[in-house]
Amino acid sequence: MKTTTNLPRRDFIKLSAISGAFLAVGFVPLGEKESKIVNLSKTATPGNELNPFVFIGTDGKVVLYNHRPEMGQGTFQAIPMIIAEELEVDINDIEIRQSPADEHKYGDQMVVGSRSIRNNFNNMRKMGAAAREMLMQAAAKRFHSDVSECEAKNGYITHVSSGRKISYGVLVRDASELEPSNSPALKDPSQFSVIGKSVPRMDIPLKTNGEAKFGIDHQVEGMLYASVERSPFFAGRVIDYFGEKALQVPGVKYIFKTSRDVWGKKREAVAVLANSYWAAVKGRKALEIMWHNGDLKNWTTEEIWIDYYKASKEEGTTFEEKGDFENIFDKSANKIEAYYETPYQAHAPMEPMNAMVSVTEDKIEFWGSTQNPNGIRSHLAEKFGMHPDKIIINYTFMGGGFGRRSLMDVVDEVADLSAQAGVPVKVIWTREDDIGQGPFRACSLNHLRGSINAEGNAECLDHKIICQDIRNQSGYGKSPSSGITGGVITEYEIPNFRLNGVLRKHHIPITYWRSVYHSTNCFAHESFIDEMAHEAGKDPLDFRLVMLKNHYRYSQVLKLVAEKSDWYKTPDENTGRGVAIVERSGSFVALVAEVKRIEGKIVPYKFTVAIDCGIVINPDTVVAQSEGCVVMGLTAAYKSAITIEEGRVAQTNFDKFKLMELYETPQVNVHIVQSNEAPEGVGEAALPPTAPALTNAIFSLTGKRIRRLPFKLDEV
Amino acid sequence: MLKFYLNAEFCKLNGFVNYNTMGFYKLTVNGQLHSVEADPDTPLLWVLRDNLGLTGTKFSCGIAQCGACTVQINGDPVRSCVMPVSSAINSKIVTIEGLSIANSHPVQKAWIEEQVPQCGYCHSGQIMAAAALLEKNANPSDEEIHNGMRGVLCRCGTYPRVMKAIRKASAKISKS
Repeated sequence: MKTTTNLPRRDFIKLSAISGAFLAVGFVPLGEKESKIVNLSKTATPGNELNPFVFIGTDGKVVLYNHRPEMGQGTFQAIPMIIAEELEVDINDIEIRQSPADEHKYGDQMVVGSRSIRNNFNNMRKMGAAAREMLMQAAAKRFHSDVSECEAKNGYITHVSSGRKISYGVLVRDASELEPSNSPALKDPSQFSVIGKSVPRMDIPLKTNGEAKFGIDHQVEGMLYASVERSPFFAGRVIDYFGEKALQVPGVKYIFKTSRDVWGKKREAVAVLANSYWAAVKGRKALEIMWHNGDLKNWTTEEIWIDYYKASKEEGTTFEEKGDFENIFDKSANKIEAYYETPYQAHAPMEPMNAMVSVTEDKIEFWGSTQNPNGIRSHLAEKFGMHPDKIIINYTFMGGGFGRRSLMDVVDEVADLSAQAGVPVKVIWTREDDIGQGPFRACSLNHLRGSINAEGNAECLDHKIICQDIRNQSGYGKSPSSGITGGVITEYEIPNFRLNGVLRKHHIPITYWRSVYHSTNCFAHESFIDEMAHEAGKDPLDFRLVMLKNHYRYSQVLKLVAEKSDWYKTPDENTGRGVAIVERSGSFVALVAEVKRIEGKIVPYKFTVAIDCGIVINPDTVVAQSEGCVVMGLTAAYKSAITIEEGRVAQTNFDKFKLMELYETPQVNVHIVQSNEAPEGVGEAALPPTAPALTNAIFSLTGKRIRRLPFKLDEV
Repeated sequence: MLKFYLNAEFCKLNGFVNYNTMGFYKLTVNGQLHSVEADPDTPLLWVLRDNLGLTGTKFSCGIAQCGACTVQINGDPVRSCVMPVSSAINSKIVTIEGLSIANSHPVQKAWIEEQVPQCGYCHSGQIMAAAALLEKNANPSDEEIHNGMRGVLCRCGTYPRVMKAIRKASAKISKS
């Protein structure tokens, strides 16, 4: 297998390569999932940047480009796999390069919402197929035959009846003269030989020997490091600051007041710039800042919960309604009601937030790990009034993202510092900065009411969500967007159903966190469905199946997880099982948690995941992502939380914001449904049902219902 | 080796940071002797990364709570983010870059076979900790693996594969 590097390659045309001695195929994006395929081989001029997806040289060397930033989700390999499938080349014999950031050449490159594969599957197939057809046409001409008599396989075109073969490299010159088709013939999925195979990821060997470059690893000549003191109360304003002592630290060059934009709000700070990270940190410790904090110090999480409980009495905005909840619920003889609390969470990617920017008169350059490279270009263009073409974005592997790296705040601040200092500036957030500043996953209160009819079936369900809305954090809007309702399973056939949301606004910043509102709502929803099943005296998995009997995909994953987890086999008296389901980013997941009582302690023991994500590109990635989702879901269920005390975040580092460790990791078994449906997202799907499956399992073992996260496992 | 000191007492009295403390330190890293100029309290991590360009060792928490910065010092796993450079002299330091040539260490091989890393950021530390563990105990029990890997965090949640890879590497090492 060839190794590869992860640094984005800006491949410029060399004079020697200008005679059509290569085949380069790319596209012009037309909307989110559409594109026009173009032959770039002929349009290339010396010194111009070549932005293809497919590059084949006369030596037969194939380079495929991945245009999606990689943060662990595996698209570095998966995007080229899709192209390779249709191009008919050996995936283990190609080179993968990370493409530059350019929305005009590569379309959307923001990696959020598990959409890399589902939005690019068709485009990438067309790309590979169009290039293959060009090679086949060139070959047919040489064979003096029709294209239909030729076959492409492993980098060769074969004339089927005579058995003559020509390699892609030999055909490149002729193929580069042809026009690509925009509706090339695609393979029948039953013929896939790359898609659906667990192909080793090419980025992994780089990550086992220290070679992989992350944003934090980049250095340029003349750069300074920044460490920034921000208001621990989020919105404090700088009245004055004294930097004399900080400036005495050797290596410290400048002290600047700065700010960063967080969802339209300006957050002030004071930065120390030095010639090393350690000097910047030492200088920062010697800073004296006078803050105007107003009443920000009075904020506590408890106050927020009081406010949310009060708000739960409001009707709010109705997102879905069927039947007549109020009347039927009123008259029902068998009704239940519950509140569920989920806390703020930090993203805490292992690579702390960082970015390097160089702002000069006529050019801006960015280096770093980001989920949204083109967003940075637009942001900087607007901030400095500079044409986007003069802004160069160099993005790297990310040491985790989970949503945090889709925001512009880190770049906004360091760009300001570079403009003030006149040199490239790299900011590295400390872990305390990361955990103390957010933005966080929103905390939320869920209020649920339901009733069971005389036959023991669900009759009414009212789910009300009380929380902040990521898209509605400032301004005067009073209604939340439907985005806050993710993770509620509206497909359950419950005759009287209502889904409401109540918007809360305050200064604590929130943002997208792996699976977003699904991670909070699904806990409440799937716990309450379990409570209803218990009230009805029904098996919780069967109770769900009855309500989803007309939903093929949900039913399928439920039945699969039942089989794989031995659901119907009565467990021993020290074992409990719980189930939960979700639809996230198009994928359907059913998850069974098994807990055991071992020496009096509750131990999360085994998690069985059944996932239907449509066509699978790399099954091992689906397994890896599902394993990761379970671990992160469990961490949020009983290890970590962000709380506010005296206006500031009570947690500072991993000593208080606890992550799950190896010794406490349960077994995770992942089962993938074979499907010919369109491929869907897998990076988040197994996270939402993890917590409710766990707490439902604990209920089945102990009879204790957990309605507030995080809970203490040793206190159950 | 110290270049020169300002009167520490003077600094303390006047509330100044004692700044003229840069020193030269000789470090043996991956078999090579280096001389670096740094503040004595600079963590080894930043000397490795910024002075020596060995960026495979990662910063993540800065308080020895996550293990991303793990290197081996005289064969022991050490959190380089809290070890002052001044304490690292006269010892044999090995970083991920020096663990083997071309990913040939049994732990690295097992990591690739089991496709362990996702984002990959913590895995220099994971691998250095696992290699140190197996160096001392080639055939650890599950509990010994758990204890040896305490405090080495992974936010992507690759632990199920970390466990498999350590078992696999252990099997290979104890056979040979």
